[in-house]
Formats: sequence, C-alpha cells, structure tokens
Amino acid sequence: MPTDRIVELEIPARPEFVGVARMAVGALAGIRPGLAYERIDDLRIVVSEACTSAIEMLAHQPSLAGNGPPNLRLRCIDGPKTLEIRIEAPGSAFDSAFPASDPEPDVDSFRISLIRALVDDAELRSTPGGTELCLVLHRDAGDAP
Amino acid sequence: MDLGLDVKERSGWAVLSVQGEVDVYTAPQFREQLIQLVDQGQRSILVDLEGVEFLDSTGLGVLVGGLKRVRSHDGDLALVCTQRRILKVLEITGLTKVFTIHESVDAAVGDGQG
Repeated sequence: MPTDRIVELEIPARPEFVGVARMAVGALAGIRPGLAYERIDDLRIVVSEACTSAIEMLAHQPSLAGNGPPNLRLRCIDGPKTLEIRIEAPGSAFDSAFPASDPEPDVDSFRISLIRALVDDAELRSTPGGTELCLVLHRDAGDAP
Repeated sequence: MDLGLDVKERSGWAVLSVQGEVDVYTAPQFREQLIQLVDQGQRSILVDLEGVEFLDSTGLGVLVGGLKRVRSHDGDLALVCTQRRILKVLEITGLTKVFTIHESVDAAVGDGQG
C-alpha cells in the first residue's frame, strides 16, 4: 500500500515569493507519475491565486505583520488517490478567494473562477494559527499508480 | 523573475510584446507600461502574449484595466494569443468574449487596417 509523501515549504507573504511557491509545487507535481502537464499547469495557477489572495489580504491586516511579513506555509501531500496542496496563513487570509457572495467581475471574480475550474476540490478550514486553503487534485483514472 | 516588455509601432498599432511570467510581482510593470501607452496618446494597443509563460488573475486584471482605460478614450486593446494554456485562463474567466484575440501580430494589424 503506497503511503503519502509530504513536502513542506514556508515562504514570506510577499509578491516576489509567489513564483517560488509556484515553481516548487510544479516541480513536485512533475515528479508524480502520471500527472499530465496540463494539470500541473492548472495547479501552478491555483497555487499562485491562493498565495496572491493571502498576500493581498495580509497586506491589509498590518496587525499580523509583527516585525516583518508573516509566512505562508505550504504542505504538498502526495497520496495514493489525491495530490493535496494545503496553504496556511494567519488571520482570514483567503477571504477574497472564498467571499460570502459572488463578487462583481474583477480580479477577485477571475480568481474564484480559476480556483473553482482548475482543481477538483477546494476547501477553507480554520486552524489554530489562522486559515488553511486545501486544494485537491484527484488521480485520474488513467494516471499511473 | 523578469518580465520582458517591448513596444513597437506597426501600422498605427502600438504592439506591446510581453515575455515571461505575469503575476502579483511582475504585474505592476505591465500595468505601468499600458498606462504609459494610453497617456502617450496610443488608442490602438495590441498586447502580444505569445512570449508569456504564465498568466494568472492579476495579469488578467491588468489587461482588463488597460482595456477600460483605452476604451474611455475611444480606443481599443486587442490580444495576440495562440497558447493553449493562456487561452484556457481567458476562457474560464469569460474574457474570450471581451477581448478580440488574434493568431498573430500580422493578422491583427491586417484586421486593423481592415
């Protein structure tokens, strides 16, 4: 029975680090057997959207900054049936990605459309330190085990 | 991560070629370039996305902002894009119905001369 492989990455919540998160998650997904290039691209977009959402929200919550920008914690969990990316941030960092109602057409609505379309599941959870956005890709029927 | 921005004049169009990754870090340069073009009086802007390796909602926001800005001066902003990965982002967000999308700069400039 295959076991989960977990890779963790912590980045400062600053714009210049979004590319680092995207590159790391893309590289990890790339070594996963059977995941199509197109789905890896999808994952890179969704990770970029999630990190950007958190960075923009945290920029409006200076009380969380302390002596510098807070960190975003990414956990990539490569399981037998799913690839999960969990992104944890302080405060309510993902409000623009999960608003209470559908926003007017703008960047936030584009972000929501992309997250909804490009991953199989997206769930927002409360954690002791803030919130965690869990993005899930299910293994396709044709993927290698 | 660098963003390449190059402007050329083609038959009355300002052709802005974008190379690299457009995200929250690089989008401000892209936005500034579009604002500058409109402020300089350009009313027909063609954004060539063929060299773009990554584009997310922040980049889409820049394109929509540029379109609104140039339309407020009775101008237009069109795109050149054949890359499946970029077209997919435009399709999901409904922007293929908002922008005129050409297969090449030559085709766009030809259409513009109409």
